[in-house]
Amino acid sequence: MEPQYNSKSTAVKRLMREAIELSEPTDEYSAHPLEDNLFEWHFTMRGPQASEFDGGIYHGRILLPTEYPMKPPNIILLTPNGRWETNKKICLSISSHHPETWQPSWSIRTALLALIAFMPTNGRGSLGALEYTPEERLSLAKKSRNWICECCGQVSNLLANNKAKPLTKEESELIKSVTFKGEEAAEKVSKPSDQQKQEMEAINEEPVVNNISPNFLKDALCSDIGMYLIYLIIALISILVARRFYSA
Amino acid sequence: MDNNHETTATKPEGLEQDELIIQQHREIEKEISDSILLIGQKEELTSLETEYINDPVYLTKIQDLNKKYKCMRRARPDGNCFFRSFAFAYFEYLMDHNEEYKHFKERALKSKDELISCGFTQFTLEDFHDTFMEVVNLIGEGQHEKLYDTFNMQGYSDYVVVYLRLITSGQLQKDAEFYKHFIEGDRTVVEFCHQEVEPMFKESDHIHIIALSTALNVGVRVRYMDRGESSEAIAHDFPEGSPVCVHLLYRPGHYDILYSR
Repeated sequence: MEPQYNSKSTAVKRLMREAIELSEPTDEYSAHPLEDNLFEWHFTMRGPQASEFDGGIYHGRILLPTEYPMKPPNIILLTPNGRWETNKKICLSISSHHPETWQPSWSIRTALLALIAFMPTNGRGSLGALEYTPEERLSLAKKSRNWICECCGQVSNLLANNKAKPLTKEESELIKSVTFKGEEAAEKVSKPSDQQKQEMEAINEEPVVNNISPNFLKDALCSDIGMYLIYLIIALISILVARRFYSA
Repeated sequence: MDNNHETTATKPEGLEQDELIIQQHREIEKEISDSILLIGQKEELTSLETEYINDPVYLTKIQDLNKKYKCMRRARPDGNCFFRSFAFAYFEYLMDHNEEYKHFKERALKSKDELISCGFTQFTLEDFHDTFMEVVNLIGEGQHEKLYDTFNMQGYSDYVVVYLRLITSGQLQKDAEFYKHFIEGDRTVVEFCHQEVEPMFKESDHIHIIALSTALNVGVRVRYMDRGESSEAIAHDFPEGSPVCVHLLYRPGHYDILYSR
C-alpha cells in the first residue's frame, strides 16, 4: 500500500472521532466535516463576550492536511469580521514570547477555542490581520448574524443553546500561548488594497435585510469607485474655480 | 490608495526573516522526506565511510564500530529519529524475546490510564493509544517484514512516535523534582514538555532518552560519534547499568540503529 494512503487512514480514523466528539453544536462553537470530504470542515463560532466581536457569529472553513494530526489545521474565515482577512488561510503558529508549537494531542475543538480566545488580541500588523476600528468591528458583528453559507445556510442557526464543555487545565494553558496568522509570504504594498477591495465587496454583497445601512455612505467612501467619484468631483470643482478665477 | 485599514504595511522586518527561514525549513524537510525512508534497510557500517572520506577522526571511529557492530539502519532525520529508531529497534528485539514482549504489552496497555491521570486529554490520547497498540500487537505476529513496512507508513509510524513522546512527557512530569535540574533556561518541567517533548519533529536530548528508557525500563546504549580525541565512539547506557536491548548510533543531531555482533 502507498504510504500516502496509510498516512491518510490514521487521519481518517482520527477525524471520524472528532466528528463524533463535535456532533452536538454548543452555544460557543460548532463544526462538522463536509459530506463529501472529511478533510474539509465548516465551523461557526460566537464572537467573544465584552469584545468588539460581541454578538457576532462567524463562519469559516477548516482545512486539514493529510498529515493531520501531526501538522496543524488551517482556518479560513468566510464572514467579514474586521480582525482577519476573509478567504485567506490563517494557521496556528508559534508565538515568539511563548515558543509553543502544534501538538498532535490538540484537536479541532482546541484550535477553535484558541481562535475564539485569540480574536480580541491585537493583530500588530501580523500577516492576514486587519486593524479595523472598534465601531467597524461591532457593525460587522451585527451584520454577521445574517450571513448565509452556501453549504450550511443561515449561520445563526448553526449554534445551539447547549453549554460548551468546560475547558480542561491543558486547554486553558494552550489557549494562552497559541497565535494565529496568515500563511502566505508578505504581499507587496499594492496588493493589500486589492484584498481590502474584495473585503469591502464581500461586505456589500451581504444579505442585509434593511435597504440602507447606516454605514452605506462610509462603505461607499471606502470603496474604490467612491474614491474615484470624490476625485472627479474635486477635479470638477477646481476646474470651475479656476475658470472663475481666470475669467474675472 | 490610502485608507485606515492597514494590513501588512506595518509588518516588522523580523517577521519577514522568520518567514523566509520557515520556508527554507519546509523545502529542506521535503527534500529529506522524498529521499530518505522513515526506517531504512540494514546496511554495512562501511557505508558510513564514504560520508567522511577526508576525516581521519571519524574514519577511525567507524572502523572501531565496525568491529563491534555488524550493521546499521538509518532513520529519517526529521527530528523524530530518536523515538522512531528506539521504537523500531525495541519492537524488533521484542519479536525475539517473547517473555519481555508479554511484559511490555501489559505495560503499554496500562500506560493509557496513567497518562490520562497525568492530565492528557482523554479523547486524543485514546486515539494514539489504540493505534500504538495495533502496532504493538504486530510484534506478536513475528513478521519482521510487516513491522518494517508498518514503520515506513507515515501514519502508523508517526502515531508510535507521538505515543512515545507522551510517555516521555508523562515520566518527566511524574518525576519533575528530579528532572527539573537538567532543564536549560528558565522554564518548568511542564513548559519543557510542551515545548520540547510533545510536539512532533522536536529533536531529542539526553533528558528524553533518560525519561523514556526509565519509563519503559528498557536499556539503551548510545554510541556517540563526535570529534572527541578517543579512537572509539564512546558508549553511554541509559538508564545506567541496565541490560542493553537497544543500540543506537549518535552523530551530531541525529540517531540511527545499530546491530551488535
